[in-house]
Amino acid sequence: MTVPIAVAGYASLLLVAVTLLVLAAMGLGHRRRLRREQHEVRRRAELTPLVHTLLDDEDERPAPEVTAAPALFDELVLDLLPSLRGSDRDALQRVLATRGVLDRAARDLGSRAAWRRGRAATLLGSAAGTEHTAALVRLLADPDADVRSAATRALGKTGDVAAAEPLLAGLTAAPGLPRGIVGMALLDLGTPALPALRDALTTGAPTAQALAAELLGMHGDLAATPALLATLADRSSTAPSCIAAAGALGRIGLPTATGALTGTLTTAQLPAVRRAAADALGRIGDPEAVVALTAGLADASPDVRAACADALAAIGDEGRGRLRVLSIAAGPAGTAARAALDVLALAPRRTREVLG
Amino acid sequence: MRETAEDVVLAVNWALLGYVLVLDLIMLLLVLAGGRRVSASRRWQGAEGHRELFASPLTPGVSVLVPAHDEEAGVLDMLSATLGLRYPLLEVVLVDDGSTDRTFELVAARYGLREVTPRWTADVAVEGEVLSVHQATTGDPLTVVRKVSVGRRSDALNVALNVARHPLVCMVDADSLLEPDALLQVARPFVEDPDNVVASGGVIRTVNSALTDRGTVVEPRLSRNWLVRIQAVEYLRSFLLGRTSWADANALLVISGAFGLFRRDLVVEVGGLDALSLAEDAELVVTLQEHLRRAGRPHRVVFVPEPVCWTEVPETWQVLGRQRKRWSHGLGQLLWKHKRMIGNPRYGAIGLLALPFFLVFECLGPVVEVVGLGSVVLSAVLGLLSPGTALVMLGLSLALGTLLSTATIAIEEFSYHRYGRARDVLALLAAGVLENIGFRQFHSWVRLRGLVAAITRQKPVWTAMPRTGFTTAPEEPAVPVPA
Repeated sequence: MTVPIAVAGYASLLLVAVTLLVLAAMGLGHRRRLRREQHEVRRRAELTPLVHTLLDDEDERPAPEVTAAPALFDELVLDLLPSLRGSDRDALQRVLATRGVLDRAARDLGSRAAWRRGRAATLLGSAAGTEHTAALVRLLADPDADVRSAATRALGKTGDVAAAEPLLAGLTAAPGLPRGIVGMALLDLGTPALPALRDALTTGAPTAQALAAELLGMHGDLAATPALLATLADRSSTAPSCIAAAGALGRIGLPTATGALTGTLTTAQLPAVRRAAADALGRIGDPEAVVALTAGLADASPDVRAACADALAAIGDEGRGRLRVLSIAAGPAGTAARAALDVLALAPRRTREVLG
Repeated sequence: MRETAEDVVLAVNWALLGYVLVLDLIMLLLVLAGGRRVSASRRWQGAEGHRELFASPLTPGVSVLVPAHDEEAGVLDMLSATLGLRYPLLEVVLVDDGSTDRTFELVAARYGLREVTPRWTADVAVEGEVLSVHQATTGDPLTVVRKVSVGRRSDALNVALNVARHPLVCMVDADSLLEPDALLQVARPFVEDPDNVVASGGVIRTVNSALTDRGTVVEPRLSRNWLVRIQAVEYLRSFLLGRTSWADANALLVISGAFGLFRRDLVVEVGGLDALSLAEDAELVVTLQEHLRRAGRPHRVVFVPEPVCWTEVPETWQVLGRQRKRWSHGLGQLLWKHKRMIGNPRYGAIGLLALPFFLVFECLGPVVEVVGLGSVVLSAVLGLLSPGTALVMLGLSLALGTLLSTATIAIEEFSYHRYGRARDVLALLAAGVLENIGFRQFHSWVRLRGLVAAITRQKPVWTAMPRTGFTTAPEEPAVPVPA
């Protein structure tokens, strides 16, 4: 027993020593942080006017004080860049290029450390133009998930529409890209990405198809309506694709979609799909949908009933009139109708909430 | 006979030593993993600010569900903080769960509540009768449901679930304050990876004595109450190290009931929260994972290591004892209910790592501690215990506990450094030492009682915690106007 006791004694001493070391590191770290923060505040105050002078500067060659500025200067420029467009953005990009920041980041894309690759991708996304697109696209297959996500975001920010196809392909590749990050990147690319999205809607894998439908709806792309209707009608479409297509048709708002959406509301198996169809009909506001929506008030799912009642309330006099008639009735349909009318009565006061 | 007793006591002592060594090794690994993660995040955050998220049309709406029972002390501050969250689309559903104080009256007066017909969106079973549903007329997206209390938070949350309208539901305690970007932070995983993420949670911190202004924590301060200080260290250790590492291993079991975000459709699909569970938050997370894994559907439970939610913790031993007994009872219920997952490779890291850890070290931990104390006494009676050995072992235990707490506080100081005053950090360090003397033993005792309650299938009892309310920051002195 003496040997284990001795080991325990030494272990205790070792633990005490490590604790003291941690405490000492904390104390030093605390002091260093305070000093660094004070220094940084001072330096930022000194350098910010210099960054602002660059915005008005039409000279291609940066001034000597810009070239000689410390690394904090780059941080200030990078903080400012995402909010700039046009010549101001070009001016700051030139400065970063002259100071070698972009070259260093491009080199770091091949670094062994994941955090370096990720940080470089983020920086190039914020600062660069289209010249690093190929390198960033290669990073979409990076073994590190955070780096892949950073490259995805960066491609959206560069605004290079050539990235749209690789981004959509990345959804189904292995290792894949998260759908939400790809979606945000594709939205960042703007309307130039619409042709790629239309292609993905008609020929893409189910995940890409669902995302494409959702984004086309957000763009309000009228040209995508036939493909969206086809997706909704296609029996082989997945539930997420149908939900996204219904949502997109609602956002686009063409009454030509009413027939397909009422069909979906009546026949779809999943409540989530029926609810999406009801929401879309409410957005379109076509009185032709009143009959189907009224029938939807008897749906087995409370969520669908509520969506149908909200949609009727959104359709106008015809829908609201039907709700008033139904609100007298007992049962779930009557409750849903009364609830929708109550929401409607409070609607002018509700500033933050969007119905449906 | 004496020889046999001595052999048994020695065997127990060695077994306990082995148990403690394994537990300490695991804790050390958690500290190292947490430290590594924090150090990596200092170099690169991995994600950008929240502006894009706020502006993105892909960010889903959130229904914040708040069960409240006798919460007049802080309900208005909490609502003010929650309704003021920076989030593009949210509603708050407050369930007044049979309050006997002025909770409802205060909310009704502040928000001009008007009774409406309930807009049901789900039909999760509930026990307590819904008395009425109200909506704010002040323009705030606030719905208040009054119901008969059946003494269970889960019942109130299930009612809220039935009127929630958005795709995500965020469950928040009425004694908690959320930071303005809290919802954006925990919603980020859902926005970025909507196909896989099913739940996410954030860091909870103790709010007692922190200075607040209309529901916003303006200056985190440490309470003068040592019981609260020790819990502050506990919370840091649990959230900064434990949950971060479990989430990294894809084996997160617990998302705190004080602040967790879930996909509404899935919560409804599993029948809402377990009405009889006393650990309904952990129970929901495990049920979701079991359900989705059995169905072969993708799922990810994410922990967001940012300080986002501030909650009141018990200030007296009595209330703390009741709370911890309830947690232990709930853990026992959870492990029994999901016993087929324990050690089952079909459930991945949850089945092979997290549940066995919770069974051996969290659930049975108090048994081992109490047996250990008994063994020490018995060893002394039998003359097996030398004072030197006892001192060395006590020293080792203290040194290890202190190192773990110090490392946690160091990680907090190096990463988030939310406590600006040096005396608060020193008090935290002292609490990390004091925790080992008295608090730990008391904690083990009440946890053991909770475990016994679970084993003997005692009726679950939800006891409300007395609220003290939040400490309001003093008004800025008015600038004197020159005559």
